[in-house]
Order: sequence, then C-alpha cells, then structure tokens
Amino acid sequence: MTKDKKGFLQKIQSAQTTLNDLKVATFLAIKQVTRSNKWSLFLTISIMSLVFLNIAFIAALMSGMVETMNSQAIDTQFSHIKIEPPENEMFIKNVKSLKNKINHLNGVIGSTAHYKTYTQFTYDKRKDGQDTKIGSWIVSSMSPEEEKKVSIFHNSILAGEYLNKNDRDKILLGKDISGGYTSNFIHESLGGSSGLKIGEKITITYPNGIKREYTIKGIFDTKNLFADAGAFVTEKEMEDMLQVSNQATEILVKTKNINNTAKYIQDFRSIGITKEKINPWTEYTGIITDITESMLMIKILLTGIGLFVSGITIFIIIFIGVINKRKEIGILKAIGMEKHTIVISYLLQALFYALLGIGGGLFILYFILSPYFAIHPLDFPIGLVYLEILTKDVIINSIALIVASIISGFIPAWGVSKKSILDLIWGV
Amino acid sequence: MIKTEKLTRTYGTEELPVLALRGVSIHIKKGEFVGIMGRSGSGKSTLLHQLGLLDTPTSGKLIIDKKNTKEFSNKEKSLFRLKNLGYVFQEYALLPELTSIEAVSLPLMMIGLNSNECKIRATQALEAVELGDRLNHLSYELSGGEQQRVAIARAIVNTPKILFADEPCANLDSESSDVIINLFKKLNKKLGQTIVMVSHEPEDKNEVDRVIWLKDGLLDNQQK
Repeated sequence: MTKDKKGFLQKIQSAQTTLNDLKVATFLAIKQVTRSNKWSLFLTISIMSLVFLNIAFIAALMSGMVETMNSQAIDTQFSHIKIEPPENEMFIKNVKSLKNKINHLNGVIGSTAHYKTYTQFTYDKRKDGQDTKIGSWIVSSMSPEEEKKVSIFHNSILAGEYLNKNDRDKILLGKDISGGYTSNFIHESLGGSSGLKIGEKITITYPNGIKREYTIKGIFDTKNLFADAGAFVTEKEMEDMLQVSNQATEILVKTKNINNTAKYIQDFRSIGITKEKINPWTEYTGIITDITESMLMIKILLTGIGLFVSGITIFIIIFIGVINKRKEIGILKAIGMEKHTIVISYLLQALFYALLGIGGGLFILYFILSPYFAIHPLDFPIGLVYLEILTKDVIINSIALIVASIISGFIPAWGVSKKSILDLIWGV
Repeated sequence: MIKTEKLTRTYGTEELPVLALRGVSIHIKKGEFVGIMGRSGSGKSTLLHQLGLLDTPTSGKLIIDKKNTKEFSNKEKSLFRLKNLGYVFQEYALLPELTSIEAVSLPLMMIGLNSNECKIRATQALEAVELGDRLNHLSYELSGGEQQRVAIARAIVNTPKILFADEPCANLDSESSDVIINLFKKLNKKLGQTIVMVSHEPEDKNEVDRVIWLKDGLLDNQQK
C-alpha cells in the first residue's frame, strides 16, 4: 500500500470514528433528556424560554421606541427628504413649479411647502389686558390637502378641526402651546392646566410687526415634543402676513422607498434643484441618534445580563447532571468511552435546552406578546410604542444564547469528565 | 495473557508517600479464573486497577496480550479497554436513563456496530445473564442483583479477552452473590473467559481456579 493510500484510509477511519462518537453522544443526550424528570425538563425549558423572551422583548421594545421616534420625526418634522433655501437666502423660489416637478418624479408620494417663522403669541383670556399670557413659538404655513400626503397632523387632532385651504384667520395649535389635555409644558403654555378652547382668540405678532388675531380651529397632539410646540396657518394666510408669494422656507418630500433617499436627491438635482440644500431626514435627527445609541447600550447591557442568567442556568443544570452521574461517567470512561464523547453528549443537551428555550421564547413573542401589543401599544411620552421584532436581533440573540449555553454546558462537563476514572468511580 | 514485573503504585505526596503496591510480579494465563484476595488495604483493588488499565503504575512492567501497556497513549488505552477488557465494579453504576438493552448496547455502539447488530448481541448478552425478560427495564426497576447482572452483560458483550471484577458481590445479599459467582464460573468454564476478581469474602477462594494473595502491597506467599 502506498503512503498516500494509507494516509487516505487513516483519514476515512478517523472520520468514521468521529461520526461514531457523535452518534454515541447523541444517543446518550437524547436518552438523558427524554427520560429525565418531565417537570424538571419543563421547568428548564420554561426558564430558558423566559430568559430568551427577556432578551428578545427588551430588544423589540427598544427597536419599537426608536421606530416610534423615527416615525414621528418623519411624519411631523422632516418627512423623508427636506429641501432648504440656498446658502444666504431666506426662501426657496418658484415653489409651485418645483413642487410640480418633484411630484411627477417616479417614487414620490407627495410634497409640501412650509413658510416657518418665529412669532409672538398673546392670549388675553378676560380681554382686559390684566391676565395676558405671552410666548414665542414657530408658526408654519401649510396647504392642508398637500400636507395630508406628507405629515400626520390631520390624524392628530385632539380637539376642533383640521384647517382647510380657504381658512384665513384660523389657527391650528400644538397641545404644548395650548396647554391642558396631555401637554408636557403646562406652565409654559398659553392656556395652563385647563388649556385653550376651540373658538378662543389669540393674537400673533409676526417678525415684520404685523399683528393678527386668530380663532383656534383645532389642537393637535402628535406626541412629538418638537412638533407639538408649533402652530399652523394656511399658506395663503402666511403669504399675506409675510408679504411674499410662491416661496417657502422648506419643502418636505415623502417617498416610497425610505432607504433610497440618495437616489431621489440625485433626481431632484437633475430636475434643476441645484442650489438648494437637500438632505435626507437622517441628517436632522441627531438627538434621536443619541437616544438610539443610549438605547443600544442599555440593550447590550440587558442582553448581557440575560445571557449571563441563561449561562448560569445551563451551568447549574449540567453541573448537577454531571455531579450526580460521576460514577456512571467513570464507568463509561472505564469501558472505553472517550472524554470528548461524554462532553459532546452534555453539549448536545445544553444545545437542546437552548433551542427549545429559543423556540418557546419566539412562540410567546410572535404569537402572544406581539399581537397583544399591536392592539394595546405602550403609551410612552414619546408616543405609542409597538414591539418591533427585527430578524437581525432575533438571529443575534439566538446565536448568543446558543453560544452562552454551550460554553456553560462545556465547563462542568469538561471539568468532571477530565477527572481520572478512579476519582470518578470513587466520587473524589 | 497478563504478566507484571515488579509493579509498583505510590499515592500521596513525595513527603508522605503511600506505597499501595511495592513490586508485584504475577502471571495470569488465558482462561484462568483468578481471585485477588487479602485484607483491607493490602492493595488488591489497586492491583486490579493497574491490570485493567484504569490507573497507571508508578513503575514496573505490565504486559497484556503480549502488548507492553506502558507504550499506550491515553487514546490507545481507551480503545484497548473497549475492545479487549471488561469491567464489573462493586458500584454497578448504570445510567438511570437507559434500559437494560440500551446500557448493554452502549459498548457495541462505541465500536461502531449498527443498531440492529447492537440489539441482537445485547439481547444475547442479557439472556446469558438470565435477564432476557428484563430487556426494556430501566435500572431503578431492577433489583441490586439484576443491576449487577446487567453490568456483567455490559462487560461481556464485546467478548473481552479479560473480565475484571472488583468486589462484584459487595453490595449484594448472599443469594444474589451466589448467582453472580455462578455466572462468572459459567462464563469461565463454558466460554473460556479469563476472569480476574477481587474479593474480600473468604469463601470465594473456593470458587476460583487460583488466588493471588496480597499483603501490604506485596504478594503473600504464606497464604493458601
């Protein structure tokens, strides 16, 4: 027999031995799991399911919170793409023509133009100048029908009504200006704890000195702190007040594909929007990015604790298992079973517990918690938060739990099986 | 079959050594049923553990089936034990999750036999120890004597060249002990099985072909 042929046969023999060891280890693992005490098996799998659920729930909740904040930023502040005036200019020019071109681009859902200006609000409840409240907020303009395609203000009316395009002396107030309701800034608001009522009058002083009295037509609550501290009048009304026409402070564009903003921006440039600043929504969400990073840290910390708990659980289960079976392991080694076969059988048990735990956790997450929170979302100050189960998180958490379980199973199994046969049989 | 030359085994530390075996030279022939006897602490179990490759001698030579065991790696020792040696311990230590037939099949699975062959040979081994009607019983469903017989079936199922038994009847009542001893005698006489058994029961000397007496880690040639 040639040297090569001999080496090849040895490799095949070695592979067969490895496969056989795996077969024996699997046989032992299956018997040890299936013939163990049913209650203890149930409890073990339940603990693993809860540990996984804990990790996955936290991840889904955090993702849900980030998703809510992102959605709010898109739906109430920046849409998907924001166009701003060129450097050193106050307004975007020829807005009607630009919007028309933008709206005809493939993949654009809608666009809306806003004038935005700092104003002074005055509220004199008794009309006697004795109890006047004053505050500064930004007032924006809107074309009510266009706005519906881009933002959610029309669906966020707490009291009264949304604007229509012919309204001239009507104003839509955010709840943090009106006060009352569920305002976050009652003391800074005009209406205090009772809030302003629909039909009441307020006076707005524009930067050019023009004063105008408005009737409150509606109060909105988007649950976005930045949006709810704002107010809207119609575009025509604002143009009259600022004495401008066919211009805007910003144009917001909603697109079909949120992940392809770069391509849309390129399209906008190609239709002649060359000097204006154009940015995706992500450029404006610095605070959300900070919060997201903090949440990621919390998520990693809580996941780490969860994995540690699962590791300890598996360690205890396997440790008790091997300690109780020291003599049997000694005999198995005596009759010729190799250490690695014994270790593999315990690793397979740990893997089994981890997989069933993951399965149980996913079942509860997808079929109980997720449907429940879809109907009853958590009402956080930042808005309604749904569970956002990301496949990436599920995969990472599952792999992490499996790895933690295998490591935790390995330590006691290796520690016991490496002892000498006589030490094991004598129980040293 | 087994030959030792000046076999020693020392436990403990360098400062406080315990000389369990102090130079034992013996020769056990194929087909013999040999008893190793002596008082408690005489080194009989230690000798059995050396002969059965469960422990490593401190010095001396141990030849089994013409092979110098000193040259074996741990892996080779495991394989040699699996294919050539069988063990019955005072503690029968059957895995509680395995039925009798599964426990006896285990060594066969380890050498790579398929499940059908394992089943046939394990059944034959269990029938040989008169447990043909207890194939699917878990260990806790068996008496102590029956569990020890399952352990014997497990030890002989691979048709080992030598069967080692370390006080196999120590935990059994006299009736069960008789069954086990008779079983060993039957295996020895009918199948020519080489058996080395440690016992502290004086009456067992009449059941074996020959007794190796030990005293303080040395052969005791005064005993008969």
